[in-house]
Amino acid sequence: MNNEELSRMLESFDNLKADKYPLKEYLNIGRPGVRRMDGVEKASGAARYTIDVQLPGMLHGRFLTSPYPHAEIMSMDTSEAEKAPGVRAVLRYDDPELPEKASLGGHEPGPAVVLPRVAHFQGEEVGAFVVADSEEIAEEALDLIKVEWKQRPFVLDPEEATKHGAPIANPEALPGTNVDPQATYIEKHGDVEKGFAAADKIIEFKFYKRLDTWVGPERPCGVFRWNGETAEVWIKQQRPHIAKRHIATWFGGIPMNKIDLHCLYQGASFGGWSQSQWNLGGHYCAALVSRRLQRPVKWSFSQREDFYGGEMDDGVYDYKVGFKLDGTITAIEAHALLTNQWLPVFGILKHVHDNTRIPNLYAKTEPVQVNKGPCYATRCEQNSNCHSMTQIFARVAAELGMDPTEIALKNDGAEGHDMAWLDQRKAEMGFPVNDSLRECIEKGKAAMDWDNKWHAPGAKMLSNGRMHGLGFTWSHEWDDSAGSAEIAIYLERNDATAVILGCHSDVGVNAQTAYCQVAADELGLRMEDVRFKGQMDAGFYTMTADTSTNMSVNGAAVRHCARLLKKKILDLAVAPRGVTQLKSFPPAFPGKKAEDLEIKEGVIYEKANPANRMTVAEFIGPSGAMGPLLSTIGEPVWAGKEGVNYPLRLTPPIFEHAWHIQRGAYIGVRLRLCRQAHFMEVEVDPETGEVEITHIVNANDVGKAISVEGCQGQQYGGAIMAAGRGHSEEVVHDPNTGVMLNGNLLNYKIPTMMDVGPIDTILVESGMGYGPYGLVGIGEDVATIMPTLIGTAIHNAIGAWVDGYPATPDVVLKALGKA
Amino acid sequence: MEHPKDDGLVEEALIELIVNGDACKIRVQANWTMDYVLREKLGLTGTKEFCGQGACGACAVIIGGRPILACMTLAIECDGQAVETVEGIARAKHPLIEAYVKHHCMQCGFCTPGFVVTAKALLDKNPSPTVDEIKEALVGNLCRCGTYPQHIKAVQEASRILRGG
Repeated sequence: MNNEELSRMLESFDNLKADKYPLKEYLNIGRPGVRRMDGVEKASGAARYTIDVQLPGMLHGRFLTSPYPHAEIMSMDTSEAEKAPGVRAVLRYDDPELPEKASLGGHEPGPAVVLPRVAHFQGEEVGAFVVADSEEIAEEALDLIKVEWKQRPFVLDPEEATKHGAPIANPEALPGTNVDPQATYIEKHGDVEKGFAAADKIIEFKFYKRLDTWVGPERPCGVFRWNGETAEVWIKQQRPHIAKRHIATWFGGIPMNKIDLHCLYQGASFGGWSQSQWNLGGHYCAALVSRRLQRPVKWSFSQREDFYGGEMDDGVYDYKVGFKLDGTITAIEAHALLTNQWLPVFGILKHVHDNTRIPNLYAKTEPVQVNKGPCYATRCEQNSNCHSMTQIFARVAAELGMDPTEIALKNDGAEGHDMAWLDQRKAEMGFPVNDSLRECIEKGKAAMDWDNKWHAPGAKMLSNGRMHGLGFTWSHEWDDSAGSAEIAIYLERNDATAVILGCHSDVGVNAQTAYCQVAADELGLRMEDVRFKGQMDAGFYTMTADTSTNMSVNGAAVRHCARLLKKKILDLAVAPRGVTQLKSFPPAFPGKKAEDLEIKEGVIYEKANPANRMTVAEFIGPSGAMGPLLSTIGEPVWAGKEGVNYPLRLTPPIFEHAWHIQRGAYIGVRLRLCRQAHFMEVEVDPETGEVEITHIVNANDVGKAISVEGCQGQQYGGAIMAAGRGHSEEVVHDPNTGVMLNGNLLNYKIPTMMDVGPIDTILVESGMGYGPYGLVGIGEDVATIMPTLIGTAIHNAIGAWVDGYPATPDVVLKALGKA
Repeated sequence: MEHPKDDGLVEEALIELIVNGDACKIRVQANWTMDYVLREKLGLTGTKEFCGQGACGACAVIIGGRPILACMTLAIECDGQAVETVEGIARAKHPLIEAYVKHHCMQCGFCTPGFVVTAKALLDKNPSPTVDEIKEALVGNLCRCGTYPQHIKAVQEASRILRGG
């Protein structure tokens, strides 16, 4: 292995220490006002999404959905649908070409039923896939299908589902029970009995978090076309490389190099949907019908179908907390039942362990099956943990009559150790020793005018008759998912503009601009001369832009690639540019060493003599006929005509690649160093139970901000999504029929522009992230940590705890004893 | 419009539209929405469909000086009308586009055209809107990514530019 390969290899491992390569000067990184690269496309309507794809001869596929929450198809007559004008195919669950299972979705290939016969929730796509000339015809044909259903007993409530004799929600996946003991997550640290014995006070509380859902504005959809033996696929997916892996396993195996993928812009994607098996069933069905008919097929869900499924925090939470009178928490015991976890269940005290000195913890988190849609990590699976953080510190503070920010600071630490221990670890790892939580709290409190506004619960009535309340929560910043990123950068001949290549999906977090900011600063190019080009078929698989790992993994690969590329440029600038039989061509910078040179704003110059300069474009030279016309032995082919003075540009293609690998950082891999703190101010109408969110303050220690506006967008955007989750968003099912009642935007209430007051966004930059330049992720955090914050603010307003979320007016009135 | 069939119901008709200044004739079925016609028949996919039932504003276009929800508007009823879509607003180099880029008013971007169209209709009618007026105009546009705070800044900036400021 040569030095270059060794360098790449070393860089490919995840950083468990402080960044090795801080820049002395940041020109584009962290600069406010960097132009958003996808801005014009998106503002002008030019941005294309998968739902926009129109191909010649394209057909449209729609699914039959179950009218019942739990039922199996006993027989199905599709003859009328098949005869309907404009219907081109009806794919049935018993089609001989359909495999029993195929690899459809998830982090890794894994088997799932493509077109099920049995429905486990009302609205599930089952039985038939109708392909027609238009969506409308397909939809009408679905009504012509006659199905003999056998209804099965169903259960919707997680507590009911655990009782003896409860209907089994999904016997195909989990026979005989609704709780899989093997999937139960146990966390145990210290000795909780000892911790409770040492406590001055012990409180117990319980709350519900009701199902909310992602509601992507672009419906789930995809397009499949066969071009001879090559498959061409348009996917709405956060992880295009994983989709390609799945597709490659279909039909006895399709070579990866015969799958042409297009991953266009996505009409919102917050993680989960992309990872569900059920979303790629459409692709399989479309692929099969497309192959039979030799026409492109677009499949899609209806708007209503987009409301099934939801976030992984739907469930019931129980806590017992012991603490001293000074606010030191001595022990926590917790239990949660979380519904339909389509990913491994996540322990609900992990954030408490990650972020505090609390030595004694025990938590049991049980996944329970009910007859509702699948629950996926949707910005993100750590929300149940965040609810624990929010509720525990607020309840202890309320019990002691203390400020919750004091309780947080008193217990801040890591993995059962105090801040002195954590500060030592920071220093050992080479990080600056900063008190991240204290800085977030101080800045957040100042923005909220907290010290002047804070009051005892139920103590402040406003002149409008409403009760005033404040809430606070905190946790760490995270960028946890395992994954790898491969990045390539090449410089165009003629103008030396740079193109960053990566197989990558856009989820709206301004990642492309951030990559370019990194590459521009590392390469010494102007921001406008760098472009990120998402491509699907030249390799260079990047880590998904979800899970907040965007900059920590992809950003690291971009940074390293740019560093290698700059080294290559400077090495070439001092090397002979070519040796032919006629003569040798001297270096661009004769007699200099690479370290004598620097690149800035697209110009290579000698550091000691800046007048000795050449633009990178001049150095690289033109393309094609204007470039290095050489014979096979390296001679200028026009030498006789042009002579040896022909201005040859004997530079090789200026291209580099790099990669970065991150292990999943969930469990004991990294100490959490960067914190975030969030504050909410509300007014509660004690007569109606209505809550108005009048002010939010987000203080996030992102370590180092690359795209300032991108980070701020995740702060206010996350806060607004969280406000919906905590205040108004709930997928409601009829308890008698199991039918979802509000699968539309008229009755499922996502926040509007007027539903949340001003939002202050504070970025703290402690440099204590494990990513490049000391950064840490932010994309998932705010929407995940804040949903139950509204409950603590309501408590501060009315002096009573709501027992469930969303805290709709009826829930607030119940807390007030009025409902 | 064409003569109705015997049952009195018009099934389809040839209508004339002026879309972003371009005259076009198109045969439409009676149940086709303007959203469907713009997207599927004229290829103007900047007009989006999110909720499909008039609750989100993603399909907004300007007809008769007002922002209209194209998913709730039958194309057959728009015979002879001028329709302005986001593509037309961009083609005219309206300052809203650059203001939206500058203020990062988009994340996933799916709802953004609907905001731009609604904001354009507001500025056409009210060149100097207050913050409350902007909120009132845009409250019917839903953004799942939560970009709301930025739209107010962008509309204010476009307003300033249009007034020569």
